Formats: sequence, structure tokens, C-alpha cells
Amino acid sequence: MELKEVIKARTLEEVLDVLDEKGEKAKVIAGGTDLVIQLREGKVNPEVLVDISDVAELCFIKETGDFIEIGAATRFVNIKESPVIGKPFKGLQEAAGHVGSPQIRNLGTVGGNICNASPAADTVPALLALDAVAVIKSKQGTREMPLEDIYIDRGKVKLEPQEILYAVKFLKPQPGQGLGFVKLGLRKALAISTISLAVFVERGENEVIKNIRIGSGALSRFPVREREVEDFVKGKKMDNTVIEEAAEVFGQVLEKRLATRPPVEKDFKPYAIKGVFKEALNKAWQRTK
Amino acid sequence: MKKISLTVNGKLYQVEVEEDMRLLDLLRDKLGFTGVKEGCSEGECGACSVIMDGKLVTSCLIMAFQAEGKEIITIEGLQKEDGTLHPIQQAFLEEGAVQCGFCTPAMVLAAKALLDKNPHPTDEEIKEGISGNLCRCTGYAKIVSSVKKAAEYLNKGGK
Ligand SMILES: Cc1cc2nc3c(=O)[nH]c(=O)nc-3n(C[C@H](O)[C@H](O)[C@H](O)COP(=O)(O)OP(=O)(O)OC[C@H]3O[C@@H](n4cnc5c(N)ncnc54)[C@H](O)[C@@H]3O)c2cc1C
Ligand code: FES
Ligand code: FES
Repeated sequence: MELKEVIKARTLEEVLDVLDEKGEKAKVIAGGTDLVIQLREGKVNPEVLVDISDVAELCFIKETGDFIEIGAATRFVNIKESPVIGKPFKGLQEAAGHVGSPQIRNLGTVGGNICNASPAADTVPALLALDAVAVIKSKQGTREMPLEDIYIDRGKVKLEPQEILYAVKFLKPQPGQGLGFVKLGLRKALAISTISLAVFVERGENEVIKNIRIGSGALSRFPVREREVEDFVKGKKMDNTVIEEAAEVFGQVLEKRLATRPPVEKDFKPYAIKGVFKEALNKAWQRTK
Repeated sequence: MKKISLTVNGKLYQVEVEEDMRLLDLLRDKLGFTGVKEGCSEGECGACSVIMDGKLVTSCLIMAFQAEGKEIITIEGLQKEDGTLHPIQQAFLEEGAVQCGFCTPAMVLAAKALLDKNPHPTDEEIKEGISGNLCRCTGYAKIVSSVKKAAEYLNKGGK
């Protein structure tokens, strides 16, 4: 297919109309930080490109009822600097701040981060740990699904050609909750993360870990929740022993999962995750106070 | 072909762009702003950086048609009409922050984007501000000191 038509959309309606009419021939472009390279390499060959980066209806961070909602075309820089997200969930802002370089953060969007479905997407582990919901729109209407369920495989999301990701939303922080994020990269700037990890915790009475959710990046074919580790920790009293034991469990889970991966990954990640996990959990716990 | 209009260095352009053209190609090849350099073509080196609506961006990752209605600043837009250099350019020269010069236009723009927002940056903030711009020659130390010096010049009301 050859690129025949390019459309700079200004309204959501315009975007949905184009997708409805062109279906599979059309592709959405936001920041372009993943897509432009893929277009040039011939990995994707749309006939029509629809630019959503200046659709104001898709660029927002706001409170709606019990939720905080972030529009799909919101840039990393805006997440990093947002006053709406709140201190306990600062981990999400740190995740956005860890992306690439200033240039990439000025262009790249959270919707692109999700829909590109790279295993190493930095904001996705944080959103998974926040139990975020994906809000999807088409001309036919709106539907929602847990963000976790949007992934089919590396590079593939469950969106119909007529649909776009409209926003992600998660419950506002409650007292006793916190989110920690840690990224282990090769270079300070521009290292597509080798591991990124987000931990959400809720502190109960007597220092009990009432709830925990862990989102990981670059540890699977796409960002995932680490339920085995969550189940091990949940309900236990927070202390050094639990942290150490949980880190061991995490290491073992990865040893199994990565057994067939190249040596660098299979040997390095199960070891490295322990330190990363402890740091992320400690950060999250600090923020519950 | 698609007709778009955009402002570059304060001047309005109406141009026809090919569908698959990047902003980088438009600026360099069609409009002649050759201070915009093409290095890696994948967002890593920063040599193609320009300021778009006040923000530093890599023009190799933007499609030309996406720039409809945008205000862009390239290195060509920095010096005054009489040829006087911008204080940031002056500081780069004085500090010896330029060797082969390939990274320099984008580096100066990165400094501008930073100083426009944060007139008194720390060394750490300067390093962060230029972290998306690679330089093969200088080892960065002189670039950082130039940005500091440029900040002083600008805070004194321009040199
Ligand atoms: C040099 C460099 C460094 C990088 N570093 C990092 C990093 O540290 N961490 C990280 O996580 N990522 C990194 N990235 C990857 C990239 O910047 C992110 O994945 C970014 O979030 C992509 O967003 P975008 O808006 O640019 O997406 P685009 O490139 O515009 O789109 C990506 C994909 O998502 C689809 N899409 C976009 N928005 C929607 C929507 N609303 N609905 C449906 N589909 C949509 C597009 O069709 C396309 O398939 C880096 C990229 C570069 C070039
Ligand atoms: S050419 Fe654009 S970042 Fe290297
Ligand atoms: S001066 Fe040569 S790349 Fe920076």
C-alpha cells in the first residue's frame, strides 16, 4: 500500500469518521515517535494517515468523579508536570519522566505508548499497577476494558480498525495508597528500558499490606501484571523479611518465564529484578504515609 | 500532494508537501533550512531538533503534514537581522563548545528551549535539557559551561 492521503484532524468526530470510512486502510498517528520509523522501514503501510496529535478533545488530564482520566494524545511532558495526578501516584509521573529525552517526551503520547504495544513501554506498568481502564471510542459508541486486557501480543492491541483509544482512567488516590516506579536502563537518556517496574500498595492497619498490584515492562511479550508476586505479598505485614522473600519469589517467577531467552536476559533479569522490586516497593510504601 | 501552511522563523510559508515527507525533509530540502541536520533518522541523536510551538522536538519523527499551522524555530531564526549572534550562539563560540559543528545548531536550540522555560538552570538541569542531543566531539563539558554563560548573558538582558 502506498500512502495516498494524510489528514490533520482537529476534532474527535473527524477522526472517527475517517476511521469508520477507511477501516483497515487507515492508521492513526499521534506523536509519531514509534510510527514514523515503522513507516519508513515499511513495517506498516497504511493508505491513509490521520493525525490526532492536535485534537484537543484527546489531550487532557482531569478528575471525573472518582477517577483521574488522561486523554490518549496527552504528551509525556504533560503527565510529568501535571498537578492533577497527586503525590501518592507520583510514580506515574516518574514513569513519564523516564521516557527517552526531552524531545521524545514533548512528542510521545500515552495512547501511543499503549497502542504500540512494545514490551518496554514505560508508562504502561504504572497504569497497570493503578488498575487502569482503557476507554475506547468509535462512531458506534464507547466501550471500556481493563487496560491489562488490551494486549494480544507484542505489537498487537484489541482495537478494531474503526476504533481509537480515547483515554485511560484510574481511581483517585485514597489515604494509605502509594505508587512506586523504578526503571533499569543502560543509559540515562534514550535507553529503551531493560526493566521497568511499578508497584501500587495500600497500607492497612498494623502495617499490613492490604493490597498490592505490580505492573512490569520488558519482562514479558508485553507489559503485564505480576500476580504470583502480588498473591505472595498480599495480607502480609510489611517488614524486611517479606520484602526479601517476595523478591526471591519474583526472581523465581522470572527464571521460569525467561528460561528460553538469550543468556543475557535469562541470567540477568531474574537477578536484577530483586533490587528493582525492593526499591519500587519501598518507594510506594513511603508514599502511603 | 497536500498544501499546508506553517510559520518558520517568523515567516509564513504555504507549501505543497508529499504525503510521506517528514518535517525534516520539508525544512531542509524544500525550504532550505540546512541548519537542521539529519543524523540517525530515528530520534536518538537530536541533530534534527527544532523548536515547535515552544517545545524542542526531533523533526525526523514528525510527518510534514502534521506541522500544519505550527510555529517553528530553526537555528537560522536565532541571529538578529544585522547578523549579530544570539547570546547562546555567542556563548558557544566563546567557550569553545563547537568542534565539528554537526550537533551545534540543535544543541543551541536545546539550550534555548531550556532557558526560555528555566532562566537559572543548575548543571543537572542543563545536562537533562541537552540529554537528547548527542555530541561526538566535545565531551559536553564546554557545552554545559556555554549554557551557563548564555544564561548569564540572557539574564543581564542580552549581550
Ligand atoms: C529515541 C526514542 C526513545 C524512546 N524512549 C522510550 C522510553 O524510554 N520509554 C518508552 O516507553 N518509550 C520510548 N520510546 C517509544 C515511544 O516514544 C513511545 O512508545 C511513545 O509513547 C509513542 O507514542 P506516539 O504518540 O509517538 O505514538 P505514534 O508513533 O504516533 O503511534 C504508535 C502506535 O500507536 C497507534 N496509536 C497512537 N495513538 C493511538 C490512539 N489514541 N488510538 C489507537 N491507536 C493509537 C499508532 O497507530 C501506532 O501504531 C522511544 C522512542 C524513541 C524514538
Ligand atoms: S536525525 Fe532526528 S534524532 Fe537523529
Ligand atoms: S561538535 Fe562535533 S558532534 Fe558536537
